[in-house]
Amino acid sequence: MNNQRLVILLLLIAYIFSPTLFTWIVNPEGAWYRPYIMWIIVIIIAYAVQARKKPS
Amino acid sequence: MTFELIHVALLCLFYLLVIFGIATLTERDWIPRKITEHPITYVLSLGIFASAWAFYGVIDLAFQFGYGALAYYLGTGALFLFAPVALEPITELARRHQVHSLADLLVFRYHSHGIGALTTLCMLLGILPLMALQIQATADTMHILTVSRAPAIPAAGTGLTFKDLMALTYCGILALFTVLFGSNREHHRGLITAMAFESLIKVFALTAIGLFAVYGVFDGFTGLDNWLERNPENLALLHSPIREGASHTLLLVFVATAVTMPHIFHMGVAENPILRNTRAVTWAFPLFLLFLALPIFPILWAGFELSVPLPAQYFTLGVPIMAESPGLTMLAFIGGLSAATGAVVVITLALSTMVMNHWILPFLRLRRRQDIYSQLVWLRRTVITSLFIGGYLFYWLLDNQQSLFHLALVAFIETLQFLPGIFAIVFWARGNRRGVIAGLTAGTIVWAIGMLVPMLSGLEEIAVPFGDGTLSVGMSHWSEITVISLGLNTLIFISISLLTQQTEEEAYSAELCAADELSHPVRQALDAHSAADFKTRLAKPLGKVTASREVDIALRQLGLAISERRPYALRRLRDQLEANLSGLMGIHVAGEIMDNQLPYKLAEARDTVDINLIENRLSQYRNHLTGMAAELNNLRLYHRKTLQELPMAVCSLGRDKEILMWNRAMANLTGIASEDVLGSHLDDLAQPWCELLVNFSQGEDAHLYRHEINLSDRPHWISLHKAAIEGPSTTRRTASQSGFTKVEDDQVILLEDVTETQLLEQELIHSERLASVGRLAAGVAHEIGNPITGIACLCQNLRYDTDNPDVLETADQILSQTDRVTRIVQSLVSYSHSGQNKKSAFEAVVLRECAAEAIALLSLQKDKQYVHFDNDLAENAIIAGDQQKMIQVFINLLANARDASEEEGHVILASSEDDDDISITVTDDGEGIPEEHIDQILEPFFTTKDPGEGTGLGLALVYSIVEDHGGTLDIISPVNRDTNRGAQILIKLPRHLNSLITGVQTIPRSEA
Repeated sequence: MNNQRLVILLLLIAYIFSPTLFTWIVNPEGAWYRPYIMWIIVIIIAYAVQARKKPS
Repeated sequence: MTFELIHVALLCLFYLLVIFGIATLTERDWIPRKITEHPITYVLSLGIFASAWAFYGVIDLAFQFGYGALAYYLGTGALFLFAPVALEPITELARRHQVHSLADLLVFRYHSHGIGALTTLCMLLGILPLMALQIQATADTMHILTVSRAPAIPAAGTGLTFKDLMALTYCGILALFTVLFGSNREHHRGLITAMAFESLIKVFALTAIGLFAVYGVFDGFTGLDNWLERNPENLALLHSPIREGASHTLLLVFVATAVTMPHIFHMGVAENPILRNTRAVTWAFPLFLLFLALPIFPILWAGFELSVPLPAQYFTLGVPIMAESPGLTMLAFIGGLSAATGAVVVITLALSTMVMNHWILPFLRLRRRQDIYSQLVWLRRTVITSLFIGGYLFYWLLDNQQSLFHLALVAFIETLQFLPGIFAIVFWARGNRRGVIAGLTAGTIVWAIGMLVPMLSGLEEIAVPFGDGTLSVGMSHWSEITVISLGLNTLIFISISLLTQQTEEEAYSAELCAADELSHPVRQALDAHSAADFKTRLAKPLGKVTASREVDIALRQLGLAISERRPYALRRLRDQLEANLSGLMGIHVAGEIMDNQLPYKLAEARDTVDINLIENRLSQYRNHLTGMAAELNNLRLYHRKTLQELPMAVCSLGRDKEILMWNRAMANLTGIASEDVLGSHLDDLAQPWCELLVNFSQGEDAHLYRHEINLSDRPHWISLHKAAIEGPSTTRRTASQSGFTKVEDDQVILLEDVTETQLLEQELIHSERLASVGRLAAGVAHEIGNPITGIACLCQNLRYDTDNPDVLETADQILSQTDRVTRIVQSLVSYSHSGQNKKSAFEAVVLRECAAEAIALLSLQKDKQYVHFDNDLAENAIIAGDQQKMIQVFINLLANARDASEEEGHVILASSEDDDDISITVTDDGEGIPEEHIDQILEPFFTTKDPGEGTGLGLALVYSIVEDHGGTLDIISPVNRDTNRGAQILIKLPRHLNSLITGVQTIPRSEA
């Protein structure tokens, strides 16, 4: 449970570095729906993670 | 394209009725529970998040910030994506302590009623713009659809315009709906299903319009791509605003909405069993948001392409209007209406809870105690109505001068001010109430001066206090105001929390909230001693009926009985009651009632660690433990199991003599199950354990050997040992307060049942004594035998030598006396020889015949009183033994029984059998054996008869013969408990097994 603080730190770092990632995602060179594709990928990952966890 | 007002109004009414209907059908269980309790329903009900702002305003956001608009979804989506980490601790807290609003949660954590009132104030200030937004969006769209033939938003109206009237009607209907369905706490399942339906409608409408934009306006995605190539400025619009950095602040503004916005908190935390659905919610809610976010840009571009003559915020409605599609227009309108309705209803419900719990109830005395429930319902209805009036007034005051985007910003930035305080609930136990109050106040003041006041008054600059310059304020500076207000808020919160101290109660709550800390919650003592006590005490503030009902409900929830006396259970009961009451009337009032009526005693024993609570919590969080913590927990479980299964009775006591551990052997020994006794006070134990353990735990000695106690009328011997446990908190405290005596420590007590050993030892001593008597008897018999034989011979000679009658009589006397001595010597010899029988020499003995022979012999003694011998021994009571010895046994027993009986008394011989043994009883109806003699009666030379009447060897001989035969002998006296008379000798002898096989008949009488 104590590593929750680490998760929060990770989120903070993610927040700081997100501009770089963001810039890539919304790069005008790419399709306008690129952010949505990333979004879908995240949802699929979340689903996979949840599905793999056995009910406690 | 316009619609008749009556059509729109009817549609609105129809839609609201459908929502009503769904709520009602759910309540009546006409919609299958499989649907209403499905995780998807739950996730959809969370869609309340997407208010009219997400339906209309977000298009404007996309217009202004391009991709930055997605921040609105990404912030909340991320929070739900990480729900197990970010939301679950809070929902778990809310569930456990029946927290129904953010204000309740903050009050619970910071233990300050001021925070509740302040939170409610800030929340009202922050949320009224959001309510006004929903009302404005609905009124505007109705206006666009009906009145304005040339669809454009008219300039500010004067007085109550037609639009204002529509808004008022809308508010009225919604208020009615909310009052009917929200004010009663039992009606909420219907609300959830209705809200889920609303979300479904709105996501369907938005997706439909998005698809229409792509396929109807642009001829599919290829068409859209071509259009974007032709109009590159639209693509640029997506990217350019991001570089200005404002979108980053937007993300910050929206990230906390899931926990700070009262309606989302209400739906996500207070209403829903989120824990059960965490798994689904982590991916399903972001997916729902994706569906909401996908159509934004196509709708925006379609609006441009069709040159919709409306502000960007109403493109969702404008696109189908311009495309001349009445069906889609209506769908868009219903979608927006749906979004606004859901948000307004839940916002009002959430705010009404806060206002009731933190503003009204603390200062209001409820009139009649008996009818507390209906008073609460009516109060809530009044509050809900007032909130609708407030929302409407705020809308009216703003007079349509603000865009939806600005209204939303004002609301979101204010609710963001709660983030530091909420964050500290779970993740920072040091944060205290002074910090929260100061931080929240500072942040809110900055926000109010920077945004709220300018919005209401049109103020654009304020003079800098203590200086010459002016400071620009207003909507255009929202980004700076966000950063400054939140930064100042956080800074003040942290620094004041670090500089000031928490109160004891606050620290306790903080530890309760910080579920990730394996802290040691302090166990506090209650001064109520039974559940019935609770009822009497609560009757004062709640009234007798309500108090009794609430206590019963809490007892049922915990599975306890009204007779409950364990401090551990009573503490749980108190917590449960407080939680239930706070569901009813808020944490503030509930906490006050509890603190007044059932206070925790701040006794000297209050530093005791609540082991039970720690264990409870550890087992609840077991699945969350990882790495070292999980290993340690396994180790703990192993040690616990070791103690639990230790084949020796162990119990441990807290400093205040509360029982913390009671292992299996202890439960077996005492016959008290551990779940009945854990957490109870030592004084509440059943006797004789209570006296024994209390005396021992208070005594000086660390050991107590062979203490005799009576268990189910049989003596038991227990050895006790104890040692002090120096717990983690104890060592910490004793370091600062030296001079604690040993009594202050926890104790572990070990009980050893030594009854078996004790009995064996007694047996051993007894047989040792018998053996020495036997040896003595043999010696004495031998030494006396010779002279007696001599005396007898001489006496015989004397008889032949004289005719003198006097001398002859003397000689007879001498002979009879020597006879008697010989008999005594004989019995001594036979006693000392007993135990030398070889078992191999045993033969089948029919007990009935032995007894008959003994009776015949005894009846020859005419000088004794006459008694009836009833020989009821069974024919087949056959044992393996020595017949002569058995006759001797019967003679002795029957003679004793006869001597004890009165004239014409009855002596009964009876038998019973089981597979291995035959039991015989010899029962008389004489005076019985005095209790103090029972222990001695089997000892040699013990007799109660007059001197010269008995030798005291009879029963001792019987006992040794029975033992030689491998049997047992018991004495029961008195037999008849009513008359207190009679004695019974119970002898158990192993039966002759061969006789079982060959049958009784085959044994010849003469041989037997």
